[in-house]
This record gives sequence, C-alpha cells and structure tokens, in this order.
Amino acid sequence: MTVPTAPVEEEEKKPEKGWPPTETKLGIIAAVLGIIMTILPFMPSFVKAIGLTFVLVWGADSVRKTSRYGLGTGVPSIGVLAVGYGVIGAIAGMGIAKVGGDFTIGGVEVLNVGVLGGVAIAALIGYISGIFSNSEKFISMKIPGLERGMTELGVAGTLAFLLESSMVAGTLKLDAVLEDVFLSGAIAFMFVMSAIGMFHPFNACLGPDEDRGRTLLLSFEISGLICIILGIVSIALGAEWLGSSSLGLLNAALLILYGIVVWVVFYAKFVRRSFEASYEVVGTGLIKTVK
Amino acid sequence: MDPITALLILVCVIVGGLLASLGVHMIPVGGAPAAMGTATGIATGTVQLMFGAALTGLFTASTVATFFETPSPLALVLVALSGAVGAMLMMSFTMLFANMLYVFGAGVVPVSGRVEVDPITKEPQTPYKTPQTDGHGVPNVSYISGWIGAFLGGFGGALMYFVLKNYAFPASLFPELGAVDAEMISAAAAGIAAAGIFVANAILSAYNIGGTIEGFHDPKFKRLPKALISCAVVSALCGLCVIIASWGLMGGGV
Amino acid sequence: MPFEILFGLLLLIAFLAFVACFFEDAESDCGSQSNPNSQVQLAAQIGYVHRFFNKAISGEPLSNCMYATTACTVTWVLLRQFEPMFPAEKWKAAILAIPLGVLAGEIFHLIFATTAHLGRTSGQSRFQQPLYLDVFYGHLVPIMTHGFMTTFCITGIAYLQANLGTLSGIPELNHPFPLPLLGFIWGITVGSIGSSTGDIHYGTERIFQDRPFGEGKRVVYHGMITRYADCGIRTQKDIVAFCIKYGCPLTGMTFGMIILFENWRTVLGMLGGGYLTAGSAAGAAAAAIGIVIGLVIGIALILGNLYLVRWARKRYGPFVGE
Repeated sequence: MTVPTAPVEEEEKKPEKGWPPTETKLGIIAAVLGIIMTILPFMPSFVKAIGLTFVLVWGADSVRKTSRYGLGTGVPSIGVLAVGYGVIGAIAGMGIAKVGGDFTIGGVEVLNVGVLGGVAIAALIGYISGIFSNSEKFISMKIPGLERGMTELGVAGTLAFLLESSMVAGTLKLDAVLEDVFLSGAIAFMFVMSAIGMFHPFNACLGPDEDRGRTLLLSFEISGLICIILGIVSIALGAEWLGSSSLGLLNAALLILYGIVVWVVFYAKFVRRSFEASYEVVGTGLIKTVK
Repeated sequence: MDPITALLILVCVIVGGLLASLGVHMIPVGGAPAAMGTATGIATGTVQLMFGAALTGLFTASTVATFFETPSPLALVLVALSGAVGAMLMMSFTMLFANMLYVFGAGVVPVSGRVEVDPITKEPQTPYKTPQTDGHGVPNVSYISGWIGAFLGGFGGALMYFVLKNYAFPASLFPELGAVDAEMISAAAAGIAAAGIFVANAILSAYNIGGTIEGFHDPKFKRLPKALISCAVVSALCGLCVIIASWGLMGGGV
Repeated sequence: MPFEILFGLLLLIAFLAFVACFFEDAESDCGSQSNPNSQVQLAAQIGYVHRFFNKAISGEPLSNCMYATTACTVTWVLLRQFEPMFPAEKWKAAILAIPLGVLAGEIFHLIFATTAHLGRTSGQSRFQQPLYLDVFYGHLVPIMTHGFMTTFCITGIAYLQANLGTLSGIPELNHPFPLPLLGFIWGITVGSIGSSTGDIHYGTERIFQDRPFGEGKRVVYHGMITRYADCGIRTQKDIVAFCIKYGCPLTGMTFGMIILFENWRTVLGMLGGGYLTAGSAAGAAAAAIGIVIGLVIGIALILGNLYLVRWARKRYGPFVGE
C-alpha cells in the first residue's frame, strides 16, 4: 500500500479538444450510457463493452477526486469498496430482474429495467456510507465531496458488474448468471479487475504532476483487457446470442476484437503522453548528486 | 422465502459486519511507516491484511462446511469457529515472522509507541524505542490484540459465508444441475457476497482508524463505537440486498 | 493408498506455497511495490533522483490477486477445452493449461508494471526525475519471471485444491470453490503476507542501508534512500540480491507454514474424527478436532512471540545512541 504523501493541488489545465470532460459531464455521460447498455441485454457484447469502458472511467474519476486528499489507507481501498458495494448491488438487481421488469420478444430478453432497483440500492448504500464517513459524529474523514464520490462508486461498481455479467451470460436473470458467471468463477476475475480498473489509474499516476486526462486513459486500457478475457470466457462457455450459438461465437469474437483495439489504442496513447510529460527521457544516465 | 430465514440472514450479516469492524480495530497495523520500522504494527494496509486473514479462514470454513449435509446450529458454530481459527493462524504466523524479520533482519526490538508499559507483560517500552519513531515491530500486547482481532474477523466472515450458502443461495435452488455443480454455485455465490460485505465493512473501519492502529490499548480504539454504528447500518443494507437477491432467486412472492 | 497420496499432495501444496511467497517477495523487490515504495516515491520529491523501478500497480494483495485470478480464469478456459481429450486422466490437461494460463496472467502483470512506472515517473516531472529507459526495459523481464513463479505456484495450489479429491481418489475432498475463486483467495493471501513480512527487510534495512543498523528508521530519514550500490548506482535489481538472502525465505516460510498447518489440522481432524471413512456423520467431530488443534498451535505461537520479544529485549538492551 502506498500512501499519498500530500494533498495534491488542483491545477486544471485547459482541456484539449474536449478531453477530459468535466467531472459532472463525464459522470452523466457514463451513467446514462452505462444504464442504457445495462437495461438492453440483447445488445451485442461489444456495445455493452462501450458502456463498461465508460463506467470504469467514471469510477476511476471518482476514485481520483476522493483519494486526492489522502484517505489514510492508500488509494486501492476505495476502489475495492466500490466493487464490494457493486457485487452486492448487482446480485440484488439481478434478483429483482429474475422476477419482474423484463420484456421478452420471441424468447429474447429485450429490455430489463428490474436491475435498476439494484443500482438504486447500491447508490443508497454508497450515499449512506459517504455520510457516515464524512460526518463529524462518526468517522469524520472530512473529504469534500465524499458523499457524492461514494454514491458514484457504488453505482459505477454495480453497473460494471451488471454489464460484465450480461456480456458473459447474455442475460441479467440471476439464475442464469449464477450458472454461467459464478460456476465458471469468472466472478472473481470481474471482482478484482473492476477494482483494478477503478483504482489503478490514479494509483499508478499519483504525483504532483498527475494529469487527469492522462490518468483516465489507463482506465480505457484496462477495460480493453477485461473485454479480451471476458470474450475468451464467453467462447469457452459457448454463450448464445439471440438464440444462436454461431451468432454467440461472432459476438464473443467481436468483443475480443473490441478489447484488443481499445487496449492498443489507449496503451499507445498513454505511453506516448507519459514520455512527453516526463522531465526527460534518457537511454541511460547517472543521477545528480545531492549536496 | 419465509420471514424467519430472511431475519436470520439479516442478523448474521449484521453480526458478521460488526465482527469484521471489531477485528479491524484490533489488529496491529502500521501501514507504510511500519515497513520502515517507523511505526508499530504489521507493515501493510489494514484492509488487505484483514481481508487476507479472513479469506484464509474462509477457505478452511468452506472446506469444513462440506462436512455437513444439512445446516444446523452446531454446524454453524463449528464452521464459523474453523474460519476464526484459520484467520487467527494466518495472522499469528504473519506477526511472528514479521517480528523475526525486525529482530534478526533489522536488529530492532519490538516496542509499542503508544503506551509506556506493556499492559499485559508489564515490560517497559519507552527505553527501547528509537527516538523520532512511533515504535517498531509487534510487541506482545499488539500480538495478542491481533490474535483476538483476526479470530473475531475470521469468525464474522465464516459466519456470513455459512448463512449465505445455506439460506440465501442454497444448492437446492439449482436442481437442474448436478449435485457437484449446484454445490459449487452455492459456494461461489456465498463466498463472493460474503467477501464483498466483509471488505466494505473492513474499509469503513479502516477509515475510522485512519489506516494505522496498535491494538486495543491504542487511544484510537476508543473511536470503535463510531465505526460499529456505521458498519451496522451498511451491513444491514447489504443484508437487505442479499435477501432481495435470494427472494428473486426463489421466484419472488412472500 | 488414497491417504498416502492425499498427504503427499498436501505437502506438495505447502511446498508450492513456500516457493510462491518466496518469489512474491522477490518480485516486489524487483520492481519497488507496496509500502516501502512510498520512500522511492518520496525520494525524488526531496531531490534524491534515483534509478529505482517505481512499480505502484496497487498494494501487493490486489495485484497478486489480479495475476492469479487472471491466470486461473484462463487456465479454467483451457482445462475446459483440453479435459475432454483425456477422459480417463484429466490431470494431463493441466500440464499445458496451467503454464499457458499463467503466461496470460503475467502478460497482464507486465502491462500493469509498465503503466505504473511510466505514470509515476511522469507524475514527478517537476522534481527532475528522468525516465531512464535502461531501467525501464531492464527490469521488465525480471519482474515477469519472478511474477511467473509466484503465479504459477498459486495457480498450481488452486488447481490441486480444486481437484484434491479426484487426484487422491476421495472425491468428496474436491474444494467447492471454482478454480478462479481459489486463485482469488490465495492471491490476496500471498500478497498480504508478502507485503506484511517481506517488506520489512526491504524497507527497514536495504533501502536505508547507510543508516545505523539496529534502530527503527526515524521520520527525518524518510525519502533519503540509499541510492548507491557497492559499485556504481543502485538499481532495483540490487535489492533482490540482498533481500533474497533473508527476507524472501522468511516470507516464503510464513505462507508455507500457514498453508501447511491449515491443511494439516483439517486433515488431522478428518482422520481423527473418522470423516474419511464414516462420511458426514462424523463431520462435527472432524471439525471440532481441527479447531482444537488450531487453537493449540495459535497459543504456541503466542508463547513463541513472548519468548522472541523477551530474547530480543535482553540481548539488544535499551536504545543507545542519539
């Protein structure tokens, strides 16, 4: 665990070409996109993956804005908190989806709004724990915007789990998800990778010259890696799409392709921007001596 | 799903969450400074250490849970105790070997930085402490505190696992699969849900102590009630989530 | 025969655990990770420009959990493809599946190591910390190879435990958790032990080697890390050569002992309670014996710590010096 040394001053540079969007704007875009992709389980996996990507970026942004002030336990803890709430919210949402809120046409689950119940509960848990953490009478962490940050993290964690489950299982009903995602153990992979996707960007870029645009690129990159492995898992599970197994194979292949493209593009972008932002890139060299 | 089962799940999840919180307050954790011998305790983050200990306990508890075919109060106690002992063993070995590294690898004597005299062994601490540090190593009082803390945390984790496995996601809900697969789904769902609830409570408690604590003799331990209230509320909501999931899985209705 | 095989497998698991945690600690010294890394991070800020590898992926537990879980997930996929080829001897599938799965996990490790070092270095540009490309490229392969050993052993442990019953001929001993979940559990545990035990040798001793031996490191020393090696400038690889002599074996022994005694008390309970022959009727007795043995070991460890602390106090005496 690495502990942030000092509260990093905020030095918002002028965003170039609209990236990165402001925190609120990014949150709204990611939440809307994530919810739309979640409630439409019939969509191909790589479209859901776009939602996943944005949800993880949103989570990483929330981690960034809450842990900038120093949490006392290192950056990773808050990312794990998000997936802790997320997995609980997601199984509650999928439990509701099992009994109602879905519209099926010709055996294909087209719309499922029941899961939003789980998202709402996770938001509530996040908000309440944010109040408890910030309140003078309780944990009194005194971090500005912690309530909002924890709410966002709860929602982002839940949406990430829902999207990942629906990418692998093709549905949001809890029994089917349990049979595909939990029996294979892919849930463990989702648990840790969603957490990593949210906290690794800020943890890896921590420092006084951290730049929000650069940090968030990492989250895109990690979502690509998640998509590659989930695509492989859904091929192994023989997941169907629209009731056909050959379409399911195509669906998984497209997901892997999406993952590779996203990973290559954003990894290259991140490496380039890091090289540019470094003080100096030298092949080798000695260190300057301290007086 | 009948209300008594729901109540049982809720109560056990709250108890598990409270025990997790109590455990976090009792294990001696020094965080990053402890790795440099600048603070008393184990050289890692609270959450990670408690989570590691509880998962070790969970592994043994899940093995022991397969010994029993039907859930019973005796089985519940034995499974939870197995988890508690597993977590306790993990923490004890870690603290002992950490001390061996401090003593033989760095040549420092384990001392507490917060008390002048060890409350259990009555050994004086201050003369042995390096100036400008907050103690180093795991002194006896912290060791015993951590022993008990890991025991309680492991008990909470294994308790949640047993209740969730047998009452929230029982294997009988998946009759169309084979017995082995049904058992595996039930265990995996309960394991991940218990881990999620446990880690959320552990993190809230870790925020309460600000990342580092020496054990029950540390002045920060007095902040415990604040964390317990927060954890009780959050655990209750998490328990509610599990009940909703289980209710949906059993086909809804009341 | 099954009992002998069972005990052999359990010893193998304990051995793998020893190797896993040994290399876990070596790996966290190969690229500076976890708690002592706060000093490497701080060093540049106080003007101590260095040639260390700042591998701040996350805390060790979660990063190890990530490699192990990824490896186990890919292994699970491959086992599912290979196992039908050997219906009678399914273990043959693991011979290829585990290394390939671990390779996937290590590719992830490599990617995250690069992003962490680049991100942290570029986040410190105002302190004139250059990005040394030879440090950057030169450490990637050692990080990956050490990580490979850890992840390989963890995946092996998870595989053995998931199939313990099938391999030893007592089918009910198969662990109920799926393979990736076992990887998740042991990944977290190996990381938390590696960071809580092994870090001390790196953080207290090696990184402050030009400070007095035998005292905790004062707050004023923080960030003033030892940047020069026996010859030339110290890089991260010099750390491994030092810590592997004491810190790594002790860390490995911690995890090995935990796994050994955890399994030992469970199996002894099963044998003593008669679970292996009588089945679930003897479950309660088996569990109770395991708990009692565990408590006895726990109390013995408390006594061990009492003795160790007393010995150190007597031998080293009160603090002398300034």
